[in-house]
Order: sequence, then structure tokens, then C-alpha cells
Amino acid sequence: MSAIVVDGVSKKFRLHTDRAHSLKELVTRRDRNAGVDQFYALDDVSLEIPEGSMYALVGHNGSGKSTLLRCIAGIYRPTTGSVKVQGRISTLLELGAGFHPDLTGRENVYMNATILGMSKKQIDGVFDEIVEFAGIGDFIDSPVKIYSSGMYVRLGFSVAIHVDPEILIIDEVIAVGDQEFQRRCFEHLFELRRRGVTIVVVTHGMDTVQTMCDRAAWLEHGVLLDEGPAPAVASKYLRQVNEHEQEHRALVSERAVAASEAADAAALLAIEEVKVIESIPSELEPAQPEVVLPPKPAEPVVLTGLRFTSAAGKPISSAVVGEPLRIEIDYLASSAVENPVFGIAVHSVSGWHVTGVNTKISHFPVGVIHGAGTVVATMNPLRLNAGEYLISIGITDPQIQHFYVDEFQGWELFVRESGELTAHGIVDLPLTWSLELDSSTPD
Amino acid sequence: MSTPAQVWSYRTLIVNLAQRELKSRYKRSLLGWMWSLINPAVTLGVYTVVFGIFFGAEAPVAGNGESQVFALWLFCGLVMWNLFSGVINTAISSFSGAGGLLTRTYFPPECPMIAGLITVVIQALLEGGILIFFMIVIGNLSFTMLLILPLFALMACFAFGVGLVLGLMNIRYRDVFYLTGIAMQVLFYATPIVYQMSILEPTAQAILRFNPLTSYVGAIRQVAYFLTFPTLGSWFVMITSAAVSLVGGWMIFSRWAPTVIEEL
Repeated sequence: MSAIVVDGVSKKFRLHTDRAHSLKELVTRRDRNAGVDQFYALDDVSLEIPEGSMYALVGHNGSGKSTLLRCIAGIYRPTTGSVKVQGRISTLLELGAGFHPDLTGRENVYMNATILGMSKKQIDGVFDEIVEFAGIGDFIDSPVKIYSSGMYVRLGFSVAIHVDPEILIIDEVIAVGDQEFQRRCFEHLFELRRRGVTIVVVTHGMDTVQTMCDRAAWLEHGVLLDEGPAPAVASKYLRQVNEHEQEHRALVSERAVAASEAADAAALLAIEEVKVIESIPSELEPAQPEVVLPPKPAEPVVLTGLRFTSAAGKPISSAVVGEPLRIEIDYLASSAVENPVFGIAVHSVSGWHVTGVNTKISHFPVGVIHGAGTVVATMNPLRLNAGEYLISIGITDPQIQHFYVDEFQGWELFVRESGELTAHGIVDLPLTWSLELDSSTPD
Repeated sequence: MSTPAQVWSYRTLIVNLAQRELKSRYKRSLLGWMWSLINPAVTLGVYTVVFGIFFGAEAPVAGNGESQVFALWLFCGLVMWNLFSGVINTAISSFSGAGGLLTRTYFPPECPMIAGLITVVIQALLEGGILIFFMIVIGNLSFTMLLILPLFALMACFAFGVGLVLGLMNIRYRDVFYLTGIAMQVLFYATPIVYQMSILEPTAQAILRFNPLTSYVGAIRQVAYFLTFPTLGSWFVMITSAAVSLVGGWMIFSRWAPTVIEEL
């Protein structure tokens, strides 16, 4: 059963570059369509959202995600195509959207909940829960304008999730509040799902998509690029984002080189000018030469190679379940780098984040590196089951804040069976069986 | 297109919107609710002084055969006029004011319009109550005054239909707001509110009869001041204008509001 069927939906918006804002212009302007650009925020999008599932919409800003949400919610009418919705919708497009600053929290809760489609009796029933969840306390009878922004948002979210919808539409609002509140939000979303509520979210948090969502759709410039199981869509999307970022970095470093050449020339000129000015006997302060920022330095550590090798250190084309696997990471440090962190992440091809390890959490002292070297991670025995995996490598500063190297899913690792199946699934966890007999049992 | 039935299912929302509007209107003001009385009182005072004293306009004799109070005769007309202009101005501001809500969640766009209408009607009922109170004071009372309620209803429908269309147009063209302000001024003096029809030349009187507001203002004076029934002719004008305006305005609004909301 599909809760929502989006069938060939296009949404055309008019971009008013030079819109007639007055009646006079409307009458006097000859070519009324001049200056009216049209663009498609959604272009022939079709998808089905199964009942009781959690569905994510991903894509860059301006890709049409929010427009699609508004079409589903009935706020926008599609230009062509149709949206069929079965069930009562509650929208969470902006928290506390209907809050009036001068009214008290209590009055606003009633107001907001009615907008979301609840009757007074229903609100009475869940009012205490709403206040409790938001953690507002005695402030509930104060005007909301004195609330902190956190309280404001918490109250808004609390109302929205207590309206008992059949379909909940959420637009990038999960990322509000502190850790504690976020955790409670997710718990509540899980609870709603258990009750069979269909949830559609727009989010940029790929963790959310991968861990919480069943299916996902990837929109780009209003076109549906991909649709399918959430982890797979999310990992495709992430890979594309990373490729873009690398292209961008390459472009930036090219520009930086060009800029540094130009800067050198400029600096020479500037110094000469300073000299000229200094040579003038004057009481005036010498004009400061324009400060030219040095080009962004290239990263001090670069990745020069990566190999999968056997226990003996021989490169292998595929690893074997249960046998040792070494991952050798070759680096080149152009200057001394203190305590860098080397990290490895393993994803399954379907997008699941199987594991992520680094030298910091393993308490492996890397020390100061300078020049070329190799960091070796040994997995003995390899606990991954047969299949295809994507390996990511990161090299960061000691605080894992700055990435010197960020190669997301840059390598494929093939793992084959050793001949005997030892476990199903992605990993073969170390495990032993035992049987303990209860001695009191009569024989 | 929202049907009245769909809108009815959102009645809790409408009531809440109206409550919010009323509650927040006089927050942080010392006199609070008194303001809704002070405003019409001052207007009434000014008009009474200017037209009743400076120009020496005289009121006709009231229904009880003896009273002749210009201020009350004027107040009848003003109450009706305030309802008319209030409904239209509120409709214009309600629609642009509800933009923040309408773009974030779905509900029929008629809801905030009706909520605005309710607040104005409450104000009109208040003024009507004061009118009746003073009529009792001067001893000018009859059961015809009960007809004030249906007259209010007809006026509200007539103004609401116009207001729906103006509110809609105002989103695209802000000129509507300014034009409405000017039109209201002209219309106020093109309706026999501060003067009697009889002071005009016959031609001007004939022209004024094309203004439906003339019938509404005349009718409330009939029932509240002269204590008689409005003529069949004015009932016809009022019922027809109210019905045409409401149905037409509603249809235009329902048809175009969802498109216009995207521009809010």
C-alpha cells in the first residue's frame, strides 16, 4: 500500500525579473511576458511512498525537495501531474510557524495544534505531554517572545509530533535543539513509525538517511536522479558530493598557484613602490603596500598509495574471509606533522557503514611524521564476509578537525569465501558457542 | 477550490485564529478593550461637532415622535459604515498577514479571512449594543431593532465578498491597498451617512441610489431610529448585493488563492 503516490509531478514557477508591481505598469507595459522567466522546480517526478515507511528526500539546496514536500502537503498545486495522499497529513515545515510572540506558550500550543488539524478535546488530552516533552516548565504561561530560541523550537517540535498524524512531513527541522533533545526526537520518530505513521523527511544528514530511513529519493534541479533503498541512494549521493568537492579543491589549488604567481609579482611591485615613497622626504606616513594573502598552502600530508596485501605483504586482488588482510597506506609528509590521525572506513556497496577505525581511537601513537612512510592496518583474521566493499581513507590533524586527506569510498575491496561458510550477513563476528547443562534437571 | 463544507471542518482553527487576533490586539495596552469603544466614540464626537454644531445639521424626528438627537441618528449610519470598512480592511490585511502560515502548512485560505470577519462582526455587535443602549436612554425603543442583526449579516456578507477579491488582488498589486483607502474616503461621502438624502438635488439623489450602501445605511436608520421597517426595495437591493458579492467573491477567491499563495 502506498500512502503517497506522486505521479509525473512538475511544478513551474514564474521568476519575476521585472514584474509589474503596480496597476499602471500592468496597463502600460506592452509585452506582458517580457521579464517573466519560468523555471521548473520539479520536472516530471514520480515516486511512491509506502505506508508506514520512513522516506528521505536528499539533494543539494534548491534541488526541489521542499517544493515536492509542499506539493505533497497540498500547499502547492502541481502544474502538471498529480499527488494522491491517503491519510491525515501533519506538516513540520518550520517550527513554531504559527507562534504569535505576544501570546503565551499555552495559547500558542492550542493555536499551533489546531493549525495542524487537532480539535480542542484532542489537544487537552496531550497538552501535558507536549509541555513535558518540550521541557518548558513554568514558562508555558509566559509570552513566547521571552523564550530562548531553543525553547521556542522545542515547543514547536513538541506540538508537531504530538498531533498524531497518519503522515508526517518534516523539512530539515530535526537538526534543532541540543543532543539530548535530538535524541528524544529520534526516539519519538521511531515510536511514530512503530505505530505505522508514514514519515517523509528532507534532510542533509546522511547518517539519518542511512540508519533511519527505508527508502530515499535523490533530486537534482527538480529531476529525480535516483530512488531506492535509503542506504544505497545516500551513498551514491555522498560519492557525488565528494567528487564535486575534489574537483572544487583541484580548481582552488590551481587558482592558488596562479594567485601566488600573481602575488609574487604584485609583492615585488609593492615593495618598489614603498621604496619610492620612503625616498620622498616627507612627514607623511608611508602608504602601506596592499596586503597580499599568501596562497593557501598545499596539505602537509598527501596520500601516495594504498594497497591491500596478504600476511606476507604481497599485494592481493581480493581478500579472503578469515585470513589476514593488511591495508597499507603510503603517505608523504612535506613538513613535520605531529600526531596525525589515520582512519579507515568500510562501507558495503549497499551503503551501510560497516566500520570506521582510526589510530586515535585505537590509541596508536603515530608520533611526528616527516617524509615518506607507510601506515599499515592489519585485520587478522578478516571478519568481513564475502562481497564487495568500499574503503575510505582519511588523514587528519590530532583533533580530527581538519582533513589533510579525505578519500571517500575511493577503493573497492573484494572479499571472497574461504570455501566454508562461517556466517551470513556482512560481518563474521568472533563468537563461540557453549552448552551449559542444568545439573538439577532429572535424567 | 475549497467548498464551504471543507472550510466548516476547520472551524476550530477559524475560532482560534479569531481568538488569537482578539487576544493579541490589545496586549500591552493600559486601556485594553476600551480602545474598541474609544475609537468610534471619538469619530462620533468629531462628526457631531462638525456637522451637527458647525454646519447646524438637524436630525429628523425619531420613531417615538419627540426625540431629535443628531448624534444618535449619525451613529446608526456610522455603525453600518464601520462594519463595511472594517470587513474590507481586515480582509486585505488578513490575507497578507496569514502568508507565513499558509506557505508552511495546508489549510483552506478562507479560514484566516473568516476569522478576520468574525473579529469585525464582534466589534459591530458591540457598537450595535451601545446604539441600542442610548436609544433606550432617550426612550426610543421598538422590536424593529431586532432587525439590526439580519442587517449586520447582510452587510457583512456584502463587504466580505468584496474584501475577498481585494485581499487577493492586494498580494499581486500593492496598489490595491492604497486605492482602497482612497475609495473608502470617496464612498463615505457618497453615502448619506453624515447628511440626509433630502438635502441633495433630485439628480444627485438618483445617483446615490445606485450605491448599495445607501440602502444599508437607510435600513438601519429605519429599524433603529425611526422604528419602522425598511422598504421592500431596499431589502431587495441588500439581499441581492449581499448574495452576488458573497458568492462571486468566494468563487474568485477559491479559484485563485492557491496560486497567489505561492507568491506570498
